[in-house]
Order: sequence, then structure tokens, then C-alpha cells
Amino acid sequence: MTTTNATTIPPATPSSGRTRGGVARGLLPPAVTGQEWVLIGVLAILWVVLSLTTPAFASSGSIQPLLSAVAPIALMGVGMTMIIITGGIDISVAGVLMVTGVTSAKMLVDHDASLLVAVLVSVALGGLLGLVNGLLIAYGRVHAIIITFGTANLFQFVGRQIFASKTVNGIPSTLDVFGRGEAGRTLGVPHSFVLMAVVVAIAWWYLRHVQHGRHLFAIGGDPVAARLAGVNVERRVLMTYVLTGLLVGMAAVFIVASGTSTLDQSIGSGRELAVIAAVVIGGTSITGGRGSVLGTVFGALLVQTVASGVTQLGWPSELSDLFVGVAIAIAVGADLIRKWARERA
Amino acid sequence: MRRNRTGSIAITVAVTAALALTGCTSKNNNTQPAASGSNASASGAADAGAKKKIAFVPKLQGIPYFEAMNAGGQEAAKVLPIEWLYQGPTQADAAAQAQIVRSYIQQKVDTLIVAPNDPNSMAPVLQQAKDAGIKVLTSDTDAPDSVRQAFVSQASTEGIGTALTDQLAKAMGEKGKYAIVSCGETAANLNGWIAVQKTVTAAKYPNMQIVDIVYAGEDQNKATQMATDLMNAHPDLTGLVGECTSSAPGVAQAVKDAGKIGKVFTVGLGTPMAMAPYLKDGSSSASVLWDVKNLGYLTAWAGLQVAEGKSFKADNNVSAAMPDIKYDAATKTLLLGPPLIITKDNVGQYNY
Repeated sequence: MTTTNATTIPPATPSSGRTRGGVARGLLPPAVTGQEWVLIGVLAILWVVLSLTTPAFASSGSIQPLLSAVAPIALMGVGMTMIIITGGIDISVAGVLMVTGVTSAKMLVDHDASLLVAVLVSVALGGLLGLVNGLLIAYGRVHAIIITFGTANLFQFVGRQIFASKTVNGIPSTLDVFGRGEAGRTLGVPHSFVLMAVVVAIAWWYLRHVQHGRHLFAIGGDPVAARLAGVNVERRVLMTYVLTGLLVGMAAVFIVASGTSTLDQSIGSGRELAVIAAVVIGGTSITGGRGSVLGTVFGALLVQTVASGVTQLGWPSELSDLFVGVAIAIAVGADLIRKWARERA
Repeated sequence: MRRNRTGSIAITVAVTAALALTGCTSKNNNTQPAASGSNASASGAADAGAKKKIAFVPKLQGIPYFEAMNAGGQEAAKVLPIEWLYQGPTQADAAAQAQIVRSYIQQKVDTLIVAPNDPNSMAPVLQQAKDAGIKVLTSDTDAPDSVRQAFVSQASTEGIGTALTDQLAKAMGEKGKYAIVSCGETAANLNGWIAVQKTVTAAKYPNMQIVDIVYAGEDQNKATQMATDLMNAHPDLTGLVGECTSSAPGVAQAVKDAGKIGKVFTVGLGTPMAMAPYLKDGSSSASVLWDVKNLGYLTAWAGLQVAEGKSFKADNNVSAAMPDIKYDAATKTLLLGPPLIITKDNVGQYNY
């Protein structure tokens, strides 16, 4: 077994859905995979170099905003990683962000909603839109990219209707606990980043040690074999899209909280690609069957480090697009080489 | 699943039909949209009193800036003999915008007015419009190398660039380093203002220096993050400029989040409602803009003039609010007037 995240299909016993450690130890991938070590190394080098070459990269005034910017992308990346592991994809993220973001912002402005209400509404609405995606994909048997392309347009239409050709002005400071300011941090760490880290930890455990989590890899590797092995493919797939919707709803709160007091239609734009970039750079195979949420976090950190680094070095802005593009190409190339090596072995 | 398949077949059929129809109309002018178009031009020829169709294509639809322009255009349509058409792309995308312009060409409007996202790629599309007998103008953003008959300018490039620099200099005490967070890299108006800011800073404020210019697209969160990175890159930075309506509140938010109100000063091109909280808490010192609604009105009025084949005079009486609008024949520019400076004292007067 030369692979890092081999797709193993544990026997699915109906009564033991939530069995912990139901997977034989020898079959588990390493806790931190090869690509993740590479990313940790690249990040370490970048951070050291940037600390030495710029006046304040290593300062709290730079690291804290960076972590705040990473949090929503990595949080959505957790759901997206699971989806891509099953061999699917969700490009409707921008649309879900728009609907949930504008709805919670409007609730804050028009109805003076509390933090809890705004978060619950955003997350629940996100879950509902995820359910729409999940039902169509799990039971409709049309490829996820087509379905979510359709729903992306649909959700953005709905979002624009809620915007009604106006920006949402005068968003109050209710969400500041997840914002970029002083109120958004405890002991110097942004709350949004902490919450994201907790979700990542749970997802990491779920994907590695819980049978249902392992099923996702089986589905991505070979859905027919997974079905024959007794995996409830439809339900698992449905779950990944609902979960992603819930997480996008939460990420929308982070984005509104760290934005200005005005919300415009740009809230979702390009975010689906940022999330997919983080997932792919993190080592998750775009063809499914392999991947990890830890890598996704490192991928998101790398993308934001590059963007901030380019600005702080005074380099032209468009270079960050180039570097991210190169990183994606390298990540996909590495994935293809691993696959080729596996098939030869 | 069966229902789903039926559904997708229905969609496929509908899409194919739509494609076939649009394909037809662009090739031969026999189908419905062309019919309505020829109808309009026929009636236009028959009696000169008929309403002229004036179409305006903004950079993008649904942002308050262009919605305010649209409101001005609609106001003009109540007074002037025009039908005001307004449609823009949902993202500031040159290709999507060109598609809307082409659809207006097919509809054979009388005057087509565009605020191009990318002047260079828009130029050939405007040529197509002219070839189809449509009068062409630009407004808000110019496409100087195109066939446009005139440009409706919100304020002179010099006026905006100078006002931005003056306002920032006033806040910074005429000394120190500052950086600019711009938006689209190819937007002609933004780049024009930046060029003036460079010149004015060098000529008028020798103790001030522009250290960097970055591009955030039309993305507020990205503008905020970039402003933060700029403050970190230059610890002695005391000024930031938000060059468009999404980066103006963005740079102010970054200053506020960093707890640097009173240490780093910002100015920008922000719409009043979006800037109000920042002007009040001091994270933004001033916003430089113009009366956007009047610009919409002037745009519609100019559209009617060219549709009727009239030329602009050096001084034009457009409306009670705009009794003396200058036209510069050399640059073919119709000028709204000097820029409007919005501060915490007058920000409450505007509702967009």
C-alpha cells in the first residue's frame, strides 16, 4: 500500500453506523499526509521569508486579519472537501453565500435581529439550499457540476431579488464577535478562526475514524462497489451537500461580519473558486476518493498568504493570481502522478 | 427520476429553441425582435414626436451607484419624450456587458449609451451599433478610441483626481506616505484619476508620496484585506485612497479594524449611504463624488439630443437643476460639473 489515502471499504453493519474506530488501524492513512507535510513546509518557508523581507508580516496586525480572511474559506472548504471526496463538486457556493449573507444582513438592519437569530437563520437557510442541491444530485443522477451550475444561477437570482437592486446599508455591529476588529478576538486569536478549527477537527475525526466518514472515500473511489458493499450512497452524498450548505451559511456570517457596514452583490463573487482552489491545493483529488480537510486548511492559508505577501512585498496584484494558478497546477499534477504510480503498482 | 429526466428534456428543448431563435435574429431580420425593432423605427420616421428609445448599459446592475443613475434617467423619461431602457450585467464583466449591448442593437434602439467595463473590447461592438444606424454615446466611463459621438462625463478627470488628492492632503496635513486601493485594472476612469493623483501629488504636495497602487476588483472584503496588508507593508503609511465605490468603505473599514483612526486617513469615491458610518467615526475623512442622479438625467437628455440629430452647444440648458452644462467640442465631452465633496456634515442629504 503505497498510497496515502487509500479507499478502504469497511463492512457496513447496519446497527453500527456511528461506531468509533470501526476501521482497522492498519488500513488508515497517516494522520498527516505527504502533501500536507509539503504544504506545511511551503507555508513555513513563505512565512519565514515574508517575515524577513517585509516590515510587519509576522506582526499580530498582519496575522490576525489573515486568519480572519482564511476562516470562511476554510470553513466552506470542509464541506467542499467531503463533496469532492465523494466525486462530486458544488459550484453554487457563491449563490448560497449571497442568499444567506443578504438575508442575515437584512434581518440585522430591518428587524434588529440578535447575533444568535442571525446565525441560526443564515445556517438554516444555507442547509436548506444545500438540501436542494443534495436531493437533486443524490436522486437525480445528473452530474453535480451541471446541477450546481443550475442552482448557482438560481440562488444568485434569488439573492439579487432580496437585494432588490440596492445595497444593504448601516449593518449594525451585532456580528462584531466574528469580525476583524478587537471585539472579534480572544487572546489575540480571531473567533471565526477558532470556530473553523473546531469544525475541521471534528471533520478530520469523522473522515478518519467514523465508518460513515470512510464511506465517503468508498463512494468517490467506486460508487457501484460502495453500493454493493452496503453503503447508502444517496444518503451519504445528500449529507455532504447539506453539511456544505450549513457551513456556507456560517461562512456568510463571517464574511458579513468582516465586511464593511454596507453589503453589496459582490459578497459571493469568486468565492466558489477560492474554496475549490483551497481544497485542490490541499491535496484532495478532484476525481474523488482521496482527500483531507487538514490539507484544505493549509491550502486556504497558502492562498491568503500569497495574496497578502504579494501586497506586502509591493508586487503587482495580478501576480497572486499567477502564483495560485501555479499552486493548483502543481497540486493537480502531483495528484495525477500519484494516481499513475498507484495504477502501475 | 423519470420526472427529472422529463424535466431536463423540457429544459434542453427550451434552451435549444431559445438558441435557435436568437441565432436566427442575428442572421436574418425576420423573426420577432427584429419585427418590433423595424416597427419602432418605422413609427419613429412616421412622426417625429414619437418617443425615442434611449438604452443605457451600466458596468453592472444592482449597485447603488448605477441604480441612482437609473433613477435620474427615469426622471428624465417623465419630462422628455423618451423611453428609458436600462440593463447591465450582474457582474462587472466585459463579455456579459457586450452581450447586452448586442441585444439592444438587435432591438434597434435610437441611442445606445454604455459605461464600458473594458473600453478596448467594447469599441468593436459600438462600431456594430453605429453600422446598424444607432447613435452611440458613452457615459460615466469613456471609450475614447471608439465611434462614440460624445462622452457624458460626471466630472473632469482632472477635477476628480485633484479633489481626491486635495482632500487627502488636508486630512494628512500635506505630508506623509499614502497608497491607493483601486478596483478593475483596465477601468479607464479609475486609471485616469490615478494618473492625475500622481501628477498633483508630485506638483502640489512635495512632502507626500504614493507608495503603492493595488487592484481589488469590485470586492469589498478583498479591498479591506489589501488595505490592511498595505498598512503592514508600510508602517509609516498615513493615508489610503479607495478609488471606487466598493473600495472606499473597504479602506475605511480596514483603518477602523486596525484601531488606526486618526493615524491613517482615508478618502475615496464612495456613495453617501455606504460612507456615512465611516465619515461619522472618522475612519473616512471625505468622499469625492458627483450628483449621480443628475448624471443619469443628463445621460438621458444627451441620448435624446443625438437621437434627434441635434448637436451640443458650448453651454446647454438641460433642466432647472442643470442650467449650464458645458460641452467641449475638442474632446467631445459633456461635463456634469465640478465634483461633490461629501463629508460628515452633508452626508445626510443623499439617499443613495
